[in-house]
Amino acid sequence: MTPKKFDYYSPTSINEAIQLLHDNEDSKVLAGGQSLLALMKLRLAAPSALVDISKLQEMSYVREDKDYLGIGALTIHDIIEHNQTIKKKFTLLTDAASKIGDQQIRNVGTIGGSSCHADPAADLPTALSAVNAHFVIRSGKGQRIVPATEFFVDLFQTAVGHDEVLSEIRLPYLPPRSGSGYIKHSRREGDFAIVGTGVVLTMGDGNVCKDIRIALGAVSATPLRAKSAEEYLKGKTLDDKNIADAAEIANEGADPPSDMHGSKEYRMEMIKVFTRRTVKLAMSRVM
Amino acid sequence: MATVMELVKESEVQWVGQPLKRKEDPRLITGLGKFVDDVKLPGLAFASILRSPYASAKIKRVDVSRAEKAPGVICTLTGSDVSKLTDPFLQISSAPANKVKDYCLAVDKVHFVGEPVAAVVAETRAEAEDAMELIEVDYEPEEHVLDARKALEKDAPLVHEQVGSNLVFHGKWDYGDIEDAIRKADRVVNAKLHFHRFSSTPIENNGVVVNYDRATGFLNIYCNNQMPMFCIPWLSFGLKFPSNKIRMITGDIGGGFGTKIISYPYIALICLLSMKAKRPVKWTEDRREHMFANHGNERSFDVEVPVKKDGTILGFKVSAFDDCGAYTRYEPAGATIWAQVSPGVYHFPNLKVDFFQVMTNKAPVGPNRGYSRMQHLWMIERTVDIIAKELGLDPADVRLKNYVRSDEMPYVTPSGGIYDGGDYSESLRKAMKLIDYDGLREEQARARKSGKLIGIGIATAVDSGTNNFGQVKIITDDNPFSGNSEAARVSIDGLGQFQVGLGTVPQGQGHETFAAQIVADEFGINPDQITVLSGFDSAINPYSHQSGSYASRSAVMGTGALLGATKKLKEKVAMIAAHLMKTLPENISFSEGNVVDKQTGKKMPIWQIANVAWVNNVLLPEGMEPGLVALNFWRPNFTLPDEKWRLNQTLTYSYQTHIAAIELDPESGKFKILRYVIVDDCGTQINPMIVEGQVHGAAAHGIGAAMFEEFNYDENGQLNSNTFIDYLVPSAVEIPHLITGHLEIPSLFAPKGIRGVGEGGGTPLGAISNAVEDALAPFGLQITDSHQNPQHIHKLIREKISKLNQVR
Ligand SMILES: Cc1cc2nc3c(=O)[nH]c(=O)nc-3n(C[C@H](O)[C@H](O)[C@H](O)COP(=O)(O)OP(=O)(O)OC[C@H]3O[C@@H](n4cnc5c(N)ncnc54)[C@H](O)[C@@H]3O)c2cc1C
Repeated sequence: MTPKKFDYYSPTSINEAIQLLHDNEDSKVLAGGQSLLALMKLRLAAPSALVDISKLQEMSYVREDKDYLGIGALTIHDIIEHNQTIKKKFTLLTDAASKIGDQQIRNVGTIGGSSCHADPAADLPTALSAVNAHFVIRSGKGQRIVPATEFFVDLFQTAVGHDEVLSEIRLPYLPPRSGSGYIKHSRREGDFAIVGTGVVLTMGDGNVCKDIRIALGAVSATPLRAKSAEEYLKGKTLDDKNIADAAEIANEGADPPSDMHGSKEYRMEMIKVFTRRTVKLAMSRVM
Repeated sequence: MATVMELVKESEVQWVGQPLKRKEDPRLITGLGKFVDDVKLPGLAFASILRSPYASAKIKRVDVSRAEKAPGVICTLTGSDVSKLTDPFLQISSAPANKVKDYCLAVDKVHFVGEPVAAVVAETRAEAEDAMELIEVDYEPEEHVLDARKALEKDAPLVHEQVGSNLVFHGKWDYGDIEDAIRKADRVVNAKLHFHRFSSTPIENNGVVVNYDRATGFLNIYCNNQMPMFCIPWLSFGLKFPSNKIRMITGDIGGGFGTKIISYPYIALICLLSMKAKRPVKWTEDRREHMFANHGNERSFDVEVPVKKDGTILGFKVSAFDDCGAYTRYEPAGATIWAQVSPGVYHFPNLKVDFFQVMTNKAPVGPNRGYSRMQHLWMIERTVDIIAKELGLDPADVRLKNYVRSDEMPYVTPSGGIYDGGDYSESLRKAMKLIDYDGLREEQARARKSGKLIGIGIATAVDSGTNNFGQVKIITDDNPFSGNSEAARVSIDGLGQFQVGLGTVPQGQGHETFAAQIVADEFGINPDQITVLSGFDSAINPYSHQSGSYASRSAVMGTGALLGATKKLKEKVAMIAAHLMKTLPENISFSEGNVVDKQTGKKMPIWQIANVAWVNNVLLPEGMEPGLVALNFWRPNFTLPDEKWRLNQTLTYSYQTHIAAIELDPESGKFKILRYVIVDDCGTQINPMIVEGQVHGAAAHGIGAAMFEEFNYDENGQLNSNTFIDYLVPSAVEIPHLITGHLEIPSLFAPKGIRGVGEGGGTPLGAISNAVEDALAPFGLQITDSHQNPQHIHKLIREKISKLNQVR
């Protein structure tokens, strides 16, 4: 299929992009196009105009601020996968990015696009929820910063308004003795997740869990935090039994969809299996 | 692999058997291939097809008036137009199933989701698609049926009312005395099995460009149909258009695997559109459309197998229910084609198969790599493992005990197939050695102790090739086809240059290469000196009406036809040479581009003979016709079915043994392949590199089908897997390193001992389902489906565990 007719703009600055969005009703930002163009070809989306920000090189970067690691919204999955700072400090993002689609997709698709598309089965949104990332949203009025818990609003819906652009994603640094991991359970390498599990944890003395965030993908309209499991583990020793017990309650609040790759019941079970495995993976990376 | 020149060492090189690089690859690799979508003609317009959203519905009204007024629109076409302009396509079925009315657009009723309902032609494809959205169709949904067995029930909704039932064909094959065998057996093994729906999804979808030339009255059809000359009767009768004005042209084709045989409804549709638009019209199928174009046969089986305690199989008693979808395009041919390999590789005299082919409201099926045999072979291979498990024997031993032996070759199967040589036991032994079977079994035992599940699965399949169309007379004697035939033309032009034309319609198999190797050996020249026409054009290539690439036939049939043509041509060259060199034709031999008088050693270059034959023709022997062109049609010796439907249904019977070792994660049901071995025997290999490629490709298709690919329908008849997001094709990551070995035991019957290779018999489906069951042995679970979806495996395990817990 071919998309419906649309106008195309190629702004040279983020402010121009915001202005163009403002001026064109039903317009949409085009980043890597790896989700948007497919929807347009299937005629599931038919924006009147595309505002192509993909040439705004200044929106592609990884920078180390005092309190957080800042990632430009246009940073492609391939860079996320191979960036050494990310690998050292937020390994779960490396895990997640490396399993997205295939190399061609990772060469073009962006972290901002993946976040704004907000497919519940996507990898980066789940990982970013576990990190409790903050999203910098710019509009004509200035910028606002939204935490992950408020960024992902509903199925394919985020806090980003029509004439706004996501410019940066901020990952607050983790305390010492932290580790993270992301595991995607899918049929083939690079398929959308049947269940995605992201874990960030911090250890206290011995093997005691000081803090932990567990995020689940593909089991709800937005990335879901496994709060009961998190609470269960906080202050407890991270041994096999406690981890397994926490995993058993990790699916509380999940309401997964059913499809040919995973029924609801199957996904509910897989949440437990992969939460357990991902907690152990994150533990193994504690430095 | 060596290039041609590197291989030229001695004067008497045998080109057959050399792993030559393929002649067609430079153009394909550098993007110079010409596919149907590359065809651009002046004034070209573009078609788009509106499809049914319902599995079954009456069409109450189709209104194209808004679409016709849309920008760029040239014309539209609907089912009611088509019913006036054309006749329903020919049917292979007998009465009453032959009452199915198949048109290129749905008339009055839609029968499956994706069925074409109307078409638009516009100046651009985007405009055609825009206009398509303006066509209004009122449907009245009706009851549908999606399961073959349910479709046979008394009050089942009818897919085609005028047929009066959903049954296409019911056949009974009955050889030996199965009931007696069941009485005498130590044990009768039962199984209920299901072979799932999938297809081959070639990288190039279907495509058609038709230029109806009003000046000459010719329908010039550019397409990627893989059997264009077979398609012509369907087009000619359907369109009521004289066949001598239909020209079929194919270029490079991006894979076919059988799926591009039943594209004639689309071709007919674009012909009508070109005639109506008075313009050349192009239609390029998109991936989602392709997902509805050609599925493979889905089949379920009730199996009963009488066995002896020692593992001897006494026979098979099978009821098979084949789901062919909503139309019988190549069907019910498939309802007889499985019988090409009726006993698989096994020696048992008693066979009874009750075969039902049934229509449902799903996409129509058509040939697909391993067509109809792989379902049957999978059933046998799966059952053999169940037998081994029930008797507590090693599945390898049960196979070795029951294989047809090499000293029984040629072996006549219960249904009259004549297996043309080979050594199945040796093939298994070789595969076991390559995978280190004994070592693996030990590893498996160790792994089980630590809770790891390793499974080993074996399958051996017969890969029959070069079909005898006489098999469709089993359905009805009225079917006017039998045997098989192919055409080749070999010419030497006035400058001494060789050109070869074939009817075989390649889709990537390397026909230009193999044909050059065959002809090069006959004339003692280099394959680089031979030009083989690429693609197919019915106005240029020689053809028979059975020409095409299907049924693993092209190398065998092409070689047969080529050898006939080269023989004729050599005879003529020898006659001219003898006349010029004043010797006898029988003294003439061919070497390094020369004719040689064997008695005197005197040589003359072939170009000199060619010069005489064409342009210096006063020097020709008296009365001889000028020119050096030989056209040959070749057919193997085939017979018609006897009263018990016995006949040799194919000329060659290649075979392959696959062994898969997997590791299964019991917590998720997911598994990965640890090691994979294939031993194949396709007789004499013309080009081992091409053979290896075919073996790999067939294995990848089979592994994909076993592990990932499934056309999955919901209860409303909507196809869930209608894009590559859900229809999962394996990539290089999923396909394991394939460890291959070969036997080269020549065919007893085919030219040069060559057997067809390329379909692979769907062997991985057996190897993998057997491996999965073997991995699950600690749970005592049986695998009854050909498709291994992790969530289903997980469910089996969970159910078993909860059952065990209840017992405790
Ligand atoms: C074959 C294939 C396989 C894939 N497999 C996976 C997978 O395994 N896992 C996975 O997670 N994803 C997968 N994807 C999706 C991929 O990750 C996409 O890259 C990503 O979802 C979108 O990023 P993009 O830059 O391409 O965004 P686009 O497609 O350009 O945009 C997506 C949406 O976000 C909006 N948008 C983009 N950038 C901004 C911005 N800065 N500000 C405001 N709005 C913005 C757009 O308007 C649009 O609505 C796959 C995609 C394909 C085609």
